This record gives sequence, structure tokens and C-alpha cells, in this order.
Amino acid sequence: MKNGFLVFLASLIALGGSWCGFVLLPVLQLGGQKQTTVLNASELYPVGRPGMANQGLQVYRANGCAACHTEQVQQNGVACDVVLTAAGKGPVAVSNLISSLKLNGLNKDAADAAVDKIKAAGGTAEIHIFATGPDIARGWGLRRSVAEDFLYDDPVQLGSVRIGPDLAGVGSHLPDANWQLVHLYAPRSEVKDSAMPPFRYLFRVQKMGNEPSPDALVFPKGSEPPAGYEVVPTAEAQQLAAYLLSLHADVPLYDAPFSQSVAAKP
Amino acid sequence: MSDELKSSMSPSPDAEPTATRSTVPIWIIVLTLMLLFLGMVYFDHHGGWFDSQVYGPYASAEQLEAYQPKSGAAALLAVGKQKYEQNCGICHGLDGMGKTAQAPPLAGSEWVNAKGFNRLIRIPIAGLGGPIVVKGETMTFGSAMVGIGQAMSDADLAAVLTYIRSSWGNKQSPVTADDVKAVRANLGARPQPLTSDALKALPE
Repeated sequence: MKNGFLVFLASLIALGGSWCGFVLLPVLQLGGQKQTTVLNASELYPVGRPGMANQGLQVYRANGCAACHTEQVQQNGVACDVVLTAAGKGPVAVSNLISSLKLNGLNKDAADAAVDKIKAAGGTAEIHIFATGPDIARGWGLRRSVAEDFLYDDPVQLGSVRIGPDLAGVGSHLPDANWQLVHLYAPRSEVKDSAMPPFRYLFRVQKMGNEPSPDALVFPKGSEPPAGYEVVPTAEAQQLAAYLLSLHADVPLYDAPFSQSVAAKP
Repeated sequence: MSDELKSSMSPSPDAEPTATRSTVPIWIIVLTLMLLFLGMVYFDHHGGWFDSQVYGPYASAEQLEAYQPKSGAAALLAVGKQKYEQNCGICHGLDGMGKTAQAPPLAGSEWVNAKGFNRLIRIPIAGLGGPIVVKGETMTFGSAMVGIGQAMSDADLAAVLTYIRSSWGNKQSPVTADDVKAVRANLGARPQPLTSDALKALPE
């Protein structure tokens, strides 16, 4: 072959270069990822999932949930609110000042400048930092997803298509196990125009005994099973619900900071 | 006109076109170098230099550091409240009013509201047993308080103490992690449970 050595060399450089870029560099960068602590607190993050939830990850995987759901929240920017904590010695001057200042959605420098102005007028103020972006505005999380969030997931269920909503923080904003189970059994009884297929084969419909089983689903009005029957989740459904409830990747971390007071907002 | 074009525009259309060795125009080289340079400038400004903690929208470790929320008074109280409700509220009550035959009140207590906190820090670390006078009333309880703060970090314990010293009408100075650290070192690894009299013998 003419120029065989050159072809070999070129392929080696192309393959070796992409191996370095896609495998070696990420391993060097994040291969040593460890548990960290929640920002300004001593709780470890992430904590391993309880056994039920870990089995639920496999149910999630087996049912192809990641084909329609992502587990990664995006964040486009970061902004600051300046919050007055005390009017101090000159309440009138401070109130006049804050009515003339822009206090919400500032960048860090502008927020620092506003705090300095309020301090000069005799008051005290705090800066609250929060994440911004379409995903945050939809209520899917309080910050972007970072590598720590996936430390104990095997395999990681990132997903790439959002036919359904993102689930990175679903355990925080929908923490009711019964809601999750009813939604899996009959999505449209909980979300009116849901496009999610019902996962009825994860449940058993059975004749009720003298009284309902302790595990039987509690349906919202209008979508109950026929009288005398009850819907009971199988072990798989319970594992899947436990996994969904264990998804709450929205505590503040050093890599993705926001103020605790933002989390306290309803 | 370049050599390539000359060869492809030869008089006979049936002639096989041939490639010749012609030089790359200089402007392509300059453009490539300029694009490389601009790419490197962009990388320098937005790449975060492969720091594993820097993610977008942050562009560098310094910027990430600048956006860390300062652990201001409100943040400290939020931590303290959570830790209090987790560890202390079961006996002392979420409202700090104490519980009959379990634990004395913290709201308005002279032990909590002392000017100094030398005695106060010792109580959660070492534990406290026996009768104690709170708000002029001698109280006895079924069981002693265990050293529940022994397992808490200095920062968390300081946050709890700051919270109880500034809640339910209490208005006293905050406790810092360094104060807790100093007292903990003074008490040693396995402190004996205190009594009211033993505490009274110490400075405030």
C-alpha cells in the first residue's frame, strides 16, 4: 500500500486523540470524585440510596424511563438578590435608598455595590444567590446537575430526550409515594394531559377483602377502581417509587452554590 | 492563475486532469492561525482550566469562589434551627419551652441567656444531671441529659447554640465554632456529666 505508514500514523493520532479527549481527560478530571458535604453544613452528599431505591434504579432502567425523562438540570446563569436584614440607625434613609435601588436579579459586583450603599446608609443587607435558566424556572431543581449527583448511580440514567419532565429533583417536589404509584398506574388521573403510558403491569388489580390492603393505592376522586376491587403495587412498582423519591439532587454544593434561604422559599 | 486550474482547463476535454504540487495560499494559513488564537482565548476565558469543580455558568475557580453564599447570620440560624429540631427539640420542645419531667425550658432561661457562654457550651458536650434551678424554679427530671453535642461538629453546635440564644425572645451574642472548639479541647475526649453546682463553680 502506498503511504501505508502515513495512513497508520494518521489513524493512530485520530483515535489516540479522541481517546485522550473522551476517556483519559474525563477520568483525570472526575475519576477521583468523592462524597462532598452540603454547602455551609456538615451533611455528606450524596448519601447512598436505600436498597429498595437501588433496586428501583434497575426497574427504571428496565422500563426505559430514560427514553423520555432526563435526570440533568441545566443552569444558564447565576443571579443575586439583595435582602435587607435590618434598617439600623437610619430607617428613613435606608427605605428611601432601597426604593431607588435595583435589588433583584443582579450580578455579584452590582449586588456588592448595593450592599455597600445600604451599609453606608446605616442598614445591613444580605446577598441571596440563586441559579437561573429555563429548567430552574420550570421548578425542576434549584441548581444545575453536577458530577457528585451521579456518584452512586450504576448505570447513570442521564437521558437525552425530554418527552416527560426532568426527574433530577422529583423526590423533592413530588415526595408522596402514593402520588407516584397512582401516577405510574394511571398517569392521567394525576396529570390531566400526561403523555406517559400507564405502567399497569407493575400493579395487581384484586378483589378487596373485608378491608383494603395496607398497600392499596388511594386514588383521587373520579378515577377509583370499580367498587369491591383494589389496586396493589408489586414489589417492582414499590422499588420504582422508592427510587423516584430518592431523586433529590438539589441541595447546595460548592460546585453549584445557591443560598439556603432560596431553598426555604415556597 | 494556479497550476491546478491550468491543468483542468487544458484544450482537450478528454484529457485526464492531473494534480500538481502547488503551495497553500498564505491567507488560509493566516486565517487558521487566527481562528486557533481566538479559540484559545475563548478557552482561556470560559474553560475553567479543567478544574473538576468549575461548571458553567462559572468560568473560573475565582468566579465560583466569588459566588459562594456567605454564611451570614441568617444562614447560620437556618442551620441551627434544623439541627435543634433534629437533636434537641424532642426534649426541649420545638418552641423552647421544655417538657414537664423531661427537660427544662430554654426560652428565657438564665443558663442560655448568660452574657458569656462558657457554661452553656459545656452542657450539650458533657451532659447534665441532677436538680437545676431555671427561672427561679428548682427542677428535677427523670433522667439526665446525655452529651448529645459530643457527636456534632463544632460549626453545627455553634449554630445550635446561636439559634437558642437568639430565638423565642432570647437575645444574646452568637457562639462561634472557635469558642466550641476551645471548650471541647478543655473538656477532653470523654467528659463526665456535669451538675448544676459544678457548672456554677465555673466562670460564665
